[in-house]
Amino acid sequence: MRLLLAEDERPLSRALVSILQRNQYTVDAVFDGDDALEALSSGNYDGAVLDIMMPGLDGITVLRRLRARGDLLPVLLLTAKSEVDDKVLGLESGANDYLTKPFAARELVARIRAMTRGQDDQASSQLGLGNITLDRTTFTISSPSGCFQLSNKESHMLELLLCCPGHPVSETRLLERVWGDGSGAEHSIVWVYISYLRRKLQALRADVRIRAVPGAGYLLEACP
Amino acid sequence: MTKQTFYGAALPKLEAAERQLVSLCTQCPLSHELDGESPAVLSCISRIKSPDSMIAKLRGRGLAADCQAALTAVHDAVGVRVICAFADDVYRVAGWLDAQPDLRCIQVKDYIACPKTNGYRSYHMIVELAGGPGQGITAEIQLRTIAIDFWATLEHQMKYKRTIPHEALIRAELKRCADEIASVDLSMQTIRELLTQSF
Repeated sequence: MRLLLAEDERPLSRALVSILQRNQYTVDAVFDGDDALEALSSGNYDGAVLDIMMPGLDGITVLRRLRARGDLLPVLLLTAKSEVDDKVLGLESGANDYLTKPFAARELVARIRAMTRGQDDQASSQLGLGNITLDRTTFTISSPSGCFQLSNKESHMLELLLCCPGHPVSETRLLERVWGDGSGAEHSIVWVYISYLRRKLQALRADVRIRAVPGAGYLLEACP
Repeated sequence: MTKQTFYGAALPKLEAAERQLVSLCTQCPLSHELDGESPAVLSCISRIKSPDSMIAKLRGRGLAADCQAALTAVHDAVGVRVICAFADDVYRVAGWLDAQPDLRCIQVKDYIACPKTNGYRSYHMIVELAGGPGQGITAEIQLRTIAIDFWATLEHQMKYKRTIPHEALIRAELKRCADEIASVDLSMQTIRELLTQSF
Protein backbone atom coordinates (compact mmCIF):
# COMPACT_ATOMS: atom_id res chain seq x y z
CA MET A 1 0.00 0.00 0.00
CA ARG A 2 1.42 3.36 -1.07
CA LEU A 3 1.10 6.52 1.01
CA LEU A 4 2.01 10.14 0.44
CA LEU A 5 3.38 11.97 3.46
CA ALA A 6 3.42 15.79 3.31
CA GLU A 7 5.24 17.09 6.40
CA ASP A 8 7.64 20.04 6.31
CA GLU A 9 9.51 19.28 9.55
CA ARG A 10 12.28 17.08 8.14
CA PRO A 11 13.23 15.18 11.34
CA LEU A 12 9.57 14.33 11.98
CA SER A 13 9.12 13.36 8.31
CA ARG A 14 12.13 11.02 8.46
CA ALA A 15 10.85 9.39 11.64
CA LEU A 16 7.35 8.88 10.19
CA VAL A 17 8.69 7.42 6.93
CA SER A 18 10.73 4.94 8.91
CA ILE A 19 7.80 3.94 11.14
CA LEU A 20 5.41 3.53 8.20
CA GLN A 21 7.93 1.51 6.22
CA ARG A 22 8.36 -0.82 9.18
CA ASN A 23 4.59 -1.30 9.00
CA GLN A 24 4.77 -2.45 5.37
CA TYR A 25 3.75 0.84 3.73
CA THR A 26 5.54 2.30 0.74
CA VAL A 27 5.94 6.01 1.50
CA ASP A 28 6.78 9.01 -0.64
CA ALA A 29 7.69 12.11 1.37
CA VAL A 30 7.17 15.69 0.17
CA PHE A 31 7.77 18.82 2.19
CA ASP A 32 5.28 21.42 1.00
CA GLY A 33 1.71 21.67 -0.18
CA ASP A 34 2.44 22.33 -3.86
CA ASP A 35 4.54 19.19 -4.17
CA ALA A 36 1.85 17.26 -2.31
CA LEU A 37 -0.87 18.34 -4.74
CA GLU A 38 1.32 17.52 -7.72
CA ALA A 39 2.25 14.09 -6.37
CA LEU A 40 -1.41 13.30 -5.61
CA SER A 41 -2.36 14.17 -9.20
CA SER A 42 -0.66 10.96 -10.25
CA GLY A 43 -3.40 8.87 -8.64
CA ASN A 44 -0.74 6.43 -7.47
CA TYR A 45 -1.63 6.49 -3.79
CA ASP A 46 -3.86 4.49 -1.47
CA GLY A 47 -3.84 7.20 1.20
CA ALA A 48 -2.26 10.51 2.22
CA VAL A 49 -1.07 12.06 5.47
CA LEU A 50 -1.06 15.86 5.20
CA ASP A 51 0.32 18.34 7.71
CA ILE A 52 -1.92 21.41 7.88
CA MET A 53 0.78 24.04 8.41
CA MET A 54 3.14 23.79 5.42
CA PRO A 55 5.00 26.21 3.14
CA GLY A 56 3.08 27.05 -0.02
CA LEU A 57 -0.40 25.53 -0.04
CA ASP A 58 -1.52 24.44 3.40
CA GLY A 59 -2.88 20.95 4.04
CA ILE A 60 -6.53 22.10 4.07
CA THR A 61 -6.16 23.75 0.65
CA VAL A 62 -4.47 20.67 -0.79
CA LEU A 63 -7.31 18.56 0.56
CA ARG A 64 -10.00 20.89 -0.80
CA ARG A 65 -8.44 20.93 -4.28
CA LEU A 66 -8.20 17.13 -4.18
CA ARG A 67 -11.89 16.79 -3.26
CA ALA A 68 -12.90 19.50 -5.74
CA ARG A 69 -11.65 17.28 -8.56
CA GLY A 70 -13.63 14.34 -7.21
CA ASP A 71 -10.71 12.42 -5.69
CA LEU A 72 -11.91 10.26 -2.79
CA LEU A 73 -8.42 9.27 -1.61
CA PRO A 74 -8.39 8.61 2.16
CA VAL A 75 -6.66 11.58 3.84
CA LEU A 76 -5.50 12.01 7.42
CA LEU A 77 -4.63 15.53 8.57
CA LEU A 78 -1.86 16.22 11.03
CA THR A 79 -2.46 19.33 13.04
CA ALA A 80 -0.59 21.19 15.71
CA LYS A 81 -3.85 22.76 16.70
CA SER A 82 -6.20 21.03 19.03
CA GLU A 83 -8.98 23.56 18.67
CA VAL A 84 -12.35 22.01 17.93
CA ASP A 85 -12.91 24.51 15.12
CA ASP A 86 -9.81 23.31 13.30
CA LYS A 87 -10.79 19.68 13.61
CA VAL A 88 -14.26 20.45 12.30
CA LEU A 89 -12.84 22.52 9.44
CA GLY A 90 -10.50 19.68 8.49
CA LEU A 91 -13.24 17.05 8.52
CA GLU A 92 -15.66 19.30 6.68
CA SER A 93 -13.03 19.97 4.04
CA GLY A 94 -13.07 16.27 3.29
CA ALA A 95 -10.54 14.68 5.66
CA ASN A 96 -11.25 11.09 6.67
CA ASP A 97 -9.44 11.54 9.99
CA TYR A 98 -7.09 13.87 11.86
CA LEU A 99 -4.41 13.55 14.52
CA THR A 100 -3.17 16.30 16.84
CA LYS A 101 0.57 16.71 17.38
CA PRO A 102 2.26 15.37 19.39
CA PHE A 103 0.95 11.88 18.76
CA ALA A 104 2.08 8.33 19.38
CA ALA A 105 3.41 6.55 16.29
CA ARG A 106 1.26 3.53 17.11
CA GLU A 107 -1.86 5.66 16.96
CA LEU A 108 -0.90 7.11 13.57
CA VAL A 109 -0.36 3.61 12.15
CA ALA A 110 -3.65 2.36 13.62
CA ARG A 111 -5.55 5.34 12.17
CA ILE A 112 -4.01 4.91 8.71
CA ARG A 113 -4.92 1.25 8.83
CA ALA A 114 -8.51 2.06 9.79
CA MET A 115 -8.77 4.76 7.14
CA THR A 116 -7.56 2.48 4.32
CA ARG A 117 -9.26 -0.67 5.56
CA GLY A 118 -11.83 -0.76 2.78
CA GLN A 119 -9.08 -1.02 0.20
CA ASP A 120 -7.24 -3.69 2.18
CA ASP A 121 -10.37 -5.81 2.03
CA GLN A 122 -10.59 -5.27 -1.71
CA ALA A 123 -7.18 -6.88 -2.07
CA SER A 124 -8.51 -10.12 -0.63
CA SER A 125 -11.25 -9.98 -3.18
CA GLN A 126 -12.74 -13.44 -2.86
CA LEU A 127 -15.87 -14.21 -0.91
CA GLY A 128 -17.29 -17.68 -0.70
CA LEU A 129 -19.96 -19.93 0.73
CA GLY A 130 -20.32 -23.64 0.08
CA ASN A 131 -18.93 -24.51 -3.35
CA ILE A 132 -19.43 -20.94 -4.64
CA THR A 133 -16.79 -18.22 -4.88
CA LEU A 134 -17.37 -14.61 -5.87
CA ASP A 135 -14.41 -12.54 -7.03
CA ARG A 136 -15.37 -8.97 -6.24
CA THR A 137 -12.76 -7.41 -8.50
CA THR A 138 -13.59 -9.38 -11.63
CA PHE A 139 -17.33 -9.91 -10.86
CA THR A 140 -16.99 -13.63 -11.55
CA ILE A 141 -18.92 -16.31 -9.73
CA SER A 142 -17.50 -19.79 -9.92
CA SER A 143 -18.04 -23.32 -8.71
CA PRO A 144 -16.27 -26.57 -9.57
CA SER A 145 -18.53 -26.91 -12.63
CA GLY A 146 -17.84 -23.52 -14.23
CA CYS A 147 -17.93 -19.79 -13.99
CA PHE A 148 -20.04 -16.79 -14.99
CA GLN A 149 -19.12 -13.18 -15.44
CA LEU A 150 -21.80 -11.20 -13.59
CA SER A 151 -22.94 -7.66 -14.22
CA ASN A 152 -21.71 -5.24 -11.56
CA LYS A 153 -25.13 -4.99 -9.94
CA GLU A 154 -25.51 -8.77 -9.74
CA SER A 155 -22.05 -9.03 -8.26
CA HIS A 156 -22.66 -6.27 -5.72
CA MET A 157 -25.95 -7.85 -4.68
CA LEU A 158 -24.41 -11.29 -4.23
CA GLU A 159 -21.58 -9.69 -2.26
CA LEU A 160 -24.08 -8.19 0.19
CA LEU A 161 -25.72 -11.59 0.64
CA LEU A 162 -22.36 -13.36 0.99
CA CYS A 163 -21.25 -10.93 3.70
CA CYS A 164 -23.87 -12.26 6.11
CA PRO A 165 -24.80 -15.83 5.21
CA GLY A 166 -27.91 -17.06 6.98
CA HIS A 167 -29.10 -13.52 7.77
CA PRO A 168 -31.69 -11.76 5.66
CA VAL A 169 -30.74 -8.56 3.84
CA SER A 170 -33.76 -6.33 3.35
CA GLU A 171 -35.00 -5.32 -0.08
CA THR A 172 -34.59 -1.67 0.91
CA ARG A 173 -30.96 -2.16 1.89
CA LEU A 174 -30.24 -4.02 -1.36
CA LEU A 175 -31.85 -1.17 -3.30
CA GLU A 176 -29.91 1.49 -1.40
CA ARG A 177 -26.56 -0.24 -1.64
CA VAL A 178 -26.75 -1.56 -5.19
CA TRP A 179 -28.83 1.09 -6.96
CA GLY A 180 -28.01 3.99 -4.65
CA ASP A 181 -30.08 6.18 -2.36
CA GLY A 182 -32.73 8.10 -4.20
CA SER A 183 -32.10 6.29 -7.48
CA GLY A 184 -35.87 5.93 -7.82
CA ALA A 185 -35.39 2.27 -8.74
CA GLU A 186 -38.50 0.16 -8.32
CA HIS A 187 -38.50 -2.46 -5.59
CA SER A 188 -39.36 -5.14 -8.11
CA ILE A 189 -35.93 -4.74 -9.73
CA VAL A 190 -34.53 -6.49 -6.65
CA TRP A 191 -36.66 -9.53 -7.44
CA VAL A 192 -35.43 -9.55 -11.05
CA TYR A 193 -31.80 -9.56 -9.93
CA ILE A 194 -32.47 -12.19 -7.27
CA SER A 195 -33.98 -14.28 -10.09
CA TYR A 196 -30.84 -13.82 -12.24
CA LEU A 197 -28.62 -14.90 -9.37
CA ARG A 198 -30.79 -17.89 -8.51
CA ARG A 199 -30.64 -19.16 -12.08
CA LYS A 200 -26.88 -18.76 -12.23
CA LEU A 201 -26.40 -20.50 -8.88
CA GLN A 202 -28.56 -23.32 -10.20
CA ALA A 203 -26.57 -23.55 -13.45
CA LEU A 204 -23.35 -23.74 -11.40
CA ARG A 205 -24.88 -26.54 -9.33
CA ALA A 206 -24.29 -24.46 -6.24
CA ASP A 207 -24.88 -26.05 -2.86
CA VAL A 208 -26.16 -22.70 -1.59
CA ARG A 209 -29.40 -20.95 -2.47
CA ILE A 210 -31.10 -17.59 -2.05
CA ARG A 211 -34.21 -17.82 0.11
CA ALA A 212 -36.85 -15.12 0.41
CA VAL A 213 -37.83 -14.39 4.00
CA PRO A 214 -41.22 -12.66 3.89
CA GLY A 215 -41.01 -9.22 5.44
CA ALA A 216 -37.26 -9.50 6.11
CA GLY A 217 -35.61 -9.78 2.71
CA TYR A 218 -33.35 -12.39 1.17
CA LEU A 219 -30.70 -14.63 2.65
CA LEU A 220 -28.06 -16.96 1.32
CA GLU A 221 -27.95 -20.38 2.92
CA ALA A 222 -26.75 -23.94 2.35
CA CYS A 223 -29.21 -26.01 0.32
CA PRO A 224 -31.25 -28.29 2.57
CA MET B 1 -8.41 -34.06 -52.26
CA THR B 2 -12.12 -33.88 -53.04
CA LYS B 3 -14.84 -35.37 -50.88
CA GLN B 4 -15.62 -37.72 -53.77
CA THR B 5 -12.11 -39.13 -53.83
CA PHE B 6 -11.87 -39.49 -50.04
CA TYR B 7 -15.34 -40.77 -49.15
CA GLY B 8 -15.90 -42.55 -52.49
CA ALA B 9 -19.01 -44.71 -52.66
CA ALA B 10 -20.02 -43.68 -49.11
CA LEU B 11 -20.48 -40.00 -50.05
CA PRO B 12 -24.09 -40.25 -51.32
CA LYS B 13 -25.10 -41.99 -48.11
CA LEU B 14 -23.33 -39.33 -45.99
CA GLU B 15 -25.11 -36.61 -47.96
CA ALA B 16 -28.42 -38.37 -47.49
CA ALA B 17 -27.78 -38.57 -43.76
CA GLU B 18 -26.88 -34.87 -43.71
CA ARG B 19 -30.12 -33.92 -45.50
CA GLN B 20 -32.15 -36.19 -43.27
CA LEU B 21 -30.76 -34.63 -40.09
CA VAL B 22 -31.13 -31.03 -41.27
CA SER B 23 -34.69 -31.76 -42.34
CA LEU B 24 -35.45 -33.32 -38.97
CA CYS B 25 -33.90 -30.47 -36.95
CA THR B 26 -35.55 -27.69 -38.94
CA GLN B 27 -38.91 -29.41 -38.58
CA CYS B 28 -38.62 -29.50 -34.81
CA PRO B 29 -42.15 -28.45 -33.75
CA LEU B 30 -41.10 -26.96 -30.41
CA SER B 31 -41.79 -23.30 -29.90
CA HIS B 32 -41.63 -20.86 -27.04
CA GLU B 33 -44.22 -21.59 -24.39
CA LEU B 34 -44.84 -17.87 -24.12
CA ASP B 35 -46.11 -17.00 -27.59
CA GLY B 36 -46.46 -20.46 -29.06
CA GLU B 37 -45.06 -19.14 -32.34
CA SER B 38 -41.33 -18.35 -32.17
CA PRO B 39 -39.59 -21.61 -33.00
CA ALA B 40 -37.13 -23.14 -30.54
CA VAL B 41 -34.76 -23.89 -33.46
CA LEU B 42 -33.66 -20.63 -35.07
CA SER B 43 -31.41 -22.10 -37.70
CA CYS B 44 -29.56 -25.19 -38.66
CA ILE B 45 -26.36 -25.63 -40.68
CA SER B 46 -24.51 -28.76 -41.70
CA ARG B 47 -21.39 -30.03 -43.38
CA ILE B 48 -19.60 -33.17 -44.48
CA LYS B 49 -16.17 -32.99 -42.87
CA SER B 50 -13.53 -31.95 -45.40
CA PRO B 51 -10.98 -34.65 -46.30
CA ASP B 52 -8.07 -32.47 -45.04
CA SER B 53 -9.68 -31.95 -41.69
CA MET B 54 -10.74 -35.60 -41.39
CA ILE B 55 -7.26 -36.87 -42.31
CA ALA B 56 -5.67 -34.55 -39.75
CA LYS B 57 -8.07 -35.78 -37.08
CA LEU B 58 -7.47 -39.47 -37.86
CA ARG B 59 -3.69 -39.04 -37.96
CA GLY B 60 -3.83 -37.11 -34.72
CA ARG B 61 -5.41 -40.15 -33.12
CA GLY B 62 -2.93 -42.56 -34.68
CA LEU B 63 -5.60 -44.09 -36.94
CA ALA B 64 -5.50 -45.03 -40.60
CA ALA B 65 -6.36 -41.92 -42.64
CA ASP B 66 -8.93 -43.58 -44.87
CA CYS B 67 -12.68 -43.56 -45.47
CA GLN B 68 -13.21 -46.75 -43.49
CA ALA B 69 -11.77 -45.18 -40.33
CA ALA B 70 -13.64 -41.92 -41.04
CA LEU B 71 -16.96 -43.77 -40.99
CA THR B 72 -16.30 -46.10 -38.07
CA ALA B 73 -13.60 -44.80 -35.74
CA VAL B 74 -14.88 -41.20 -35.49
CA HIS B 75 -18.44 -39.97 -35.49
CA ASP B 76 -18.42 -36.53 -37.09
CA ALA B 77 -18.05 -37.14 -40.83
CA VAL B 78 -21.55 -35.64 -40.82
CA GLY B 79 -22.00 -32.62 -38.60
CA VAL B 80 -25.11 -30.57 -37.88
CA ARG B 81 -25.28 -27.40 -35.82
CA VAL B 82 -28.57 -26.30 -34.33
CA ILE B 83 -28.93 -22.72 -33.11
CA CYS B 84 -31.52 -21.88 -30.46
CA ALA B 85 -32.55 -18.55 -28.96
CA PHE B 86 -32.56 -19.45 -25.28
CA ALA B 87 -30.47 -21.71 -23.06
CA ASP B 88 -33.45 -23.87 -22.07
CA ASP B 89 -34.43 -24.38 -25.72
CA VAL B 90 -31.13 -26.17 -26.26
CA TYR B 91 -32.10 -28.81 -23.72
CA ARG B 92 -35.70 -29.02 -24.93
CA VAL B 93 -34.61 -29.55 -28.54
CA ALA B 94 -32.00 -32.11 -27.44
CA GLY B 95 -34.70 -33.98 -25.55
CA TRP B 96 -36.96 -33.92 -28.59
CA LEU B 97 -34.16 -35.22 -30.86
CA ASP B 98 -33.39 -37.97 -28.37
CA ALA B 99 -37.01 -39.13 -28.60
CA GLN B 100 -37.06 -39.38 -32.42
CA PRO B 101 -37.50 -42.97 -33.62
CA ASP B 102 -35.01 -42.57 -36.48
CA LEU B 103 -32.24 -41.40 -34.14
CA ARG B 104 -30.28 -43.37 -31.60
CA CYS B 105 -28.24 -41.23 -29.27
CA ILE B 106 -24.86 -42.85 -28.62
CA GLN B 107 -23.16 -40.21 -26.53
CA VAL B 108 -23.76 -36.78 -25.05
CA LYS B 109 -21.18 -34.16 -24.11
CA ASP B 110 -22.81 -31.36 -22.15
CA TYR B 111 -20.37 -28.46 -22.38
CA ILE B 112 -23.10 -26.11 -21.17
CA ALA B 113 -23.24 -27.75 -17.75
CA CYS B 114 -19.46 -28.29 -17.79
CA PRO B 115 -17.84 -25.66 -20.05
CA LYS B 116 -14.45 -26.30 -21.63
CA THR B 117 -11.55 -24.40 -20.04
CA ASN B 118 -11.56 -21.88 -22.90
CA GLY B 119 -15.19 -21.00 -22.05
CA TYR B 120 -16.81 -23.03 -24.87
CA ARG B 121 -20.41 -24.01 -24.18
CA SER B 122 -22.50 -26.28 -26.40
CA TYR B 123 -24.47 -29.50 -26.15
CA HIS B 124 -22.99 -32.24 -28.34
CA MET B 125 -24.87 -35.39 -29.30
CA ILE B 126 -23.37 -38.28 -31.19
CA VAL B 127 -26.26 -40.00 -32.94
CA GLU B 128 -26.72 -42.96 -35.22
CA LEU B 129 -29.43 -42.85 -37.86
CA ALA B 130 -31.58 -45.86 -37.09
CA GLY B 131 -33.88 -45.41 -40.08
CA GLY B 132 -34.42 -43.36 -43.22
CA PRO B 133 -32.06 -42.74 -46.16
CA GLY B 134 -29.03 -42.18 -43.93
CA GLN B 135 -29.55 -45.32 -41.89
CA GLY B 136 -26.40 -46.64 -40.24
CA ILE B 137 -24.48 -43.35 -40.46
CA THR B 138 -23.29 -41.68 -37.27
CA ALA B 139 -23.22 -37.91 -36.95
CA GLU B 140 -22.49 -35.18 -34.46
CA ILE B 141 -25.21 -32.68 -33.63
CA GLN B 142 -24.06 -29.51 -31.83
CA LEU B 143 -26.72 -27.42 -30.15
CA ARG B 144 -26.03 -23.96 -28.74
CA THR B 145 -27.58 -20.55 -28.22
CA ILE B 146 -27.29 -17.84 -30.82
CA ALA B 147 -25.22 -15.73 -28.39
CA ILE B 148 -22.70 -18.48 -27.79
CA ASP B 149 -22.63 -19.21 -31.53
CA PHE B 150 -21.53 -15.62 -32.07
CA TRP B 151 -18.70 -16.17 -29.58
CA ALA B 152 -17.74 -19.51 -31.14
CA THR B 153 -17.36 -17.87 -34.56
CA LEU B 154 -14.50 -15.73 -33.32
CA GLU B 155 -13.01 -18.46 -31.16
CA HIS B 156 -12.98 -20.75 -34.21
CA GLN B 157 -10.94 -18.21 -36.21
CA MET B 158 -8.18 -18.43 -33.61
CA LYS B 159 -7.56 -22.04 -34.64
CA TYR B 160 -6.50 -20.91 -38.10
CA LYS B 161 -4.09 -18.21 -37.00
CA ARG B 162 -0.53 -19.40 -36.79
CA THR B 163 0.59 -16.62 -34.47
CA ILE B 164 -1.64 -14.63 -32.21
CA PRO B 165 -0.25 -11.42 -30.74
CA HIS B 166 -0.64 -11.32 -26.93
CA GLU B 167 -2.11 -14.79 -27.11
CA ALA B 168 -2.57 -15.34 -23.36
CA LEU B 169 -4.33 -12.01 -23.00
CA ILE B 170 -6.61 -12.65 -26.00
CA ARG B 171 -7.50 -16.12 -24.75
CA ALA B 172 -8.26 -14.77 -21.28
CA GLU B 173 -10.49 -12.07 -22.78
CA LEU B 174 -12.32 -14.59 -24.96
CA LYS B 175 -12.88 -16.76 -21.88
CA ARG B 176 -14.22 -13.73 -20.01
CA CYS B 177 -16.58 -12.95 -22.91
CA ALA B 178 -17.84 -16.55 -22.95
CA ASP B 179 -18.58 -16.36 -19.22
CA GLU B 180 -20.31 -13.03 -19.74
CA ILE B 181 -22.37 -14.24 -22.71
CA ALA B 182 -23.44 -17.38 -20.84
CA SER B 183 -24.46 -15.15 -17.95
CA VAL B 184 -26.51 -12.90 -20.24
CA ASP B 185 -28.10 -16.01 -21.81
CA LEU B 186 -29.38 -16.99 -18.38
CA SER B 187 -30.54 -13.44 -17.63
CA MET B 188 -32.51 -13.45 -20.89
CA GLN B 189 -33.96 -16.84 -19.98
CA THR B 190 -34.95 -15.43 -16.58
CA ILE B 191 -36.63 -12.39 -18.14
CA ARG B 192 -38.55 -14.65 -20.47
CA GLU B 193 -39.80 -16.60 -17.48
CA LEU B 194 -40.63 -13.44 -15.53
CA LEU B 195 -42.86 -12.39 -18.42
CA THR B 196 -45.06 -15.38 -17.70
CA GLN B 197 -45.59 -14.57 -14.04
CA SER B 198 -46.64 -11.57 -12.03
CA PHE B 199 -43.98 -10.44 -9.59
